Amino acid sequence: MLVLQAIIDGILVGGFYALMAGGLTLVFGVMEIVNFAQGIMVVLGAYLSYALFSHLSIDPFLSLVITMPGMFLIGVAVYWSMIKPIKQDRVIMSLLVMFAVGTIAEGILDLVFTSNLVQISTPYVNNSFTIGSLIFPDIYVYAFLMSVVLLAGVYYLLYRTRFGRSLRASMQNPTAARLVGINTDWVSAYTLGIGVAMAAAGGMVFGLTNSFDAASSYDLISRLLAIVIFGGFGSLSGALIASVLMLVIQDVVAVVWSPTWGQTTFYVILILILLVRPQGLLGRKAVRAQ
Amino acid sequence: MLTISGLFAGYGSGDVLRGVNLTVQDGSITCVVGPNGAGKSTLLKVVSGLLRPRVGSVTFRGAEIGGATPRKILECGIVQVMQSRNLFPELTVRENVELGGFLLRDASAVRARIATVTEQFPIVGERAGERAGQLSGGQQRMVEFARALMLDPALVVLDEPSMGLEPRAAAMMYDSIRQMRDNGRTILLVEQNVRVGLGLADHGVVMETGRVRLEGTGAEILANPQMRALYLGGTIEEGEVPAGDRGR
Ligand SMILES: Nc1ncnc2c1ncn2[C@@H]1O[C@H](COP(=O)(O)OP(=O)(O)O)[C@@H](O)[C@H]1O
Ligand SMILES: [Mg+2]
Repeated sequence: MLVLQAIIDGILVGGFYALMAGGLTLVFGVMEIVNFAQGIMVVLGAYLSYALFSHLSIDPFLSLVITMPGMFLIGVAVYWSMIKPIKQDRVIMSLLVMFAVGTIAEGILDLVFTSNLVQISTPYVNNSFTIGSLIFPDIYVYAFLMSVVLLAGVYYLLYRTRFGRSLRASMQNPTAARLVGINTDWVSAYTLGIGVAMAAAGGMVFGLTNSFDAASSYDLISRLLAIVIFGGFGSLSGALIASVLMLVIQDVVAVVWSPTWGQTTFYVILILILLVRPQGLLGRKAVRAQ
Repeated sequence: MLTISGLFAGYGSGDVLRGVNLTVQDGSITCVVGPNGAGKSTLLKVVSGLLRPRVGSVTFRGAEIGGATPRKILECGIVQVMQSRNLFPELTVRENVELGGFLLRDASAVRARIATVTEQFPIVGERAGERAGQLSGGQQRMVEFARALMLDPALVVLDEPSMGLEPRAAAMMYDSIRQMRDNGRTILLVEQNVRVGLGLADHGVVMETGRVRLEGTGAEILANPQMRALYLGGTIEEGEVPAGDRGR
C-alpha cells in the first residue's frame, strides 16, 4: 500500500513537473537553446502567485490568468531583446545569455522577497480526501488536473493550429521553414513565451507545495534538465513521460529504501540514461538540418 | 526579369561573392555552373533572401528585393529549392506540400493548388500520408518540386537538383524542369552536371571564385576551350554522363 501511495504521489507531482520541463524542452526543440533561466522562471511564477495571494487574496490557481500572460510577455521580450541580437555562435552565446538572465532575475527576487523561505498557504492547502487507505491531497489533485488541461492546450496548439504547424516545421528544419514563408523569429519568440508561461503555471504549484526562496531555482533547474535529458532534448512527449517516471521512481525509492536515496535517484537515472541511451527516451539521434 | 548587379555577399568576414552581374530572361532556363566553392549556392541564397547582400542590387520585375525577407521574396513570386534537406522529415508528404502554401490564408485555395501540383507530381497523392523522410531521394525531390509550385511562382530557383539522384530519377527531374519552363515559369538552375545542365539551358553562366567568368548560350559555353581548363580534373567528371561521353 505504501508503494501504491508512492506511485500515486509520483504521478500527481509528475504532472506539474511535466509543465515546467515541457517548457524547457520546447524551447530547446525550436531554438537549440538550453534555457538555464527556466528554474528561476519557475520561482518567479511562484513568487508572483504568492504576492497576488498574500496582498490581494487572489486564489493561486486563479492568479495564473495574470501570471501566465505576464510571463509569456517576459519570454517574448527576452527573445527580441537578448537572443535575437546575437550575431555569432548563437547556441553558446544564447546559453550564456539565459544564464545571465537567470542570475539577474535571482538577484532581483532576492532583493524584493528576501531570502526567507515562504510558501503559498491557502485555506485548503492541507485538505485531502481518501479512497480506501490511499490519501489524495486536494492541491496535488487540482494541480494534476490543471497540468493535464494546460498540456492538452499545448498539444492542441502544436498539432491543430497554423502556429503549431509553423512551430513544428521550424523545429525540424528552420531554413526550409523560412523558405516557405514562416517567420522563424516570431515562432522562436512565441515559443520562449510559451515555455516561460508554462514555468509560471508550474511555479504556482511549486509554491503551493514547497517552501521556497530564489535559491530554490538551482535544485529545480537540475531536476528539470535531468527530466529533459531523460525524455530526449526537444521531445515534449518524452518530457511528459520522463517527469512522471522520474517522480514515481523517486517516491518509490524513498519509501522502499530511504528519502535520501529518493533524492539521488534523479541523478542516478540521469547517469544511466547518458550511458545507455544518450538521446533519451524519445530523442532523435541525428542532429537536425542546419 | 531578375537582374543582379555588382553583388558582394558572404558569411562572417570576407566576401564569397565579389561583384556578380547576372540577368535572367523571362521564360528562360538559366544554368549556373562552376567548381565547388565558387559561390553558386551563396548566390541563390541571396536571391531567395536567406542571405543579405553587402553591396550591389538584386531586382525582380523592376523592384529591389536585395535584403528582403524570404517571405517577402516568396510573395514576389520567387521560390527556392535548396541543394539538400528541403523537407520536414517528420511531417507527412501532404503536410509538407501544404506548407508550400503557408502564405495562402485560404484553406480552399490551398486545396485547389494541391490538386494542381498532384496532377503534375502524382507521388504527392500516392504517398500523401507517409512521412517525407521515408521517401527515396528521387521521390523527395518530386515532393520538393511540388511544394515549390504551391504558390504558382514566376521564378523557380533550383540548387543542384540532380544531386544524389539515380540516373532514372534525374531524368524525370529534368523533365519536370522543362515542364515548368513550358508552363511559363522562369528557371534559375545551378548544376554540377555541366553537360546536362547547359544542354537544358537557354542561357549558361560559369562562376569561379565569386565572379561570373563566362556567359553565353549553353552550346557556346560547352564549346569554349576555357571551360576545359577550368574543369580539368574537376567536377565535370561527376554526374550521369555516359562513359563514352566524358569531357577529357
Ligand atoms: N554557411 C556558411 N558559413 C560560412 N561559409 C560558408 C557557408 N556556406 C558556404 N560557405 C563558404 O562559401 C564558399 C562558397 O560556397 P557555396 O556558395 O556553397 O559554393 P558552391 O555552391 O558554388 O559550391 C565556400 O568557400 C564555402 O566554404
Ligand atoms: Mg552549392
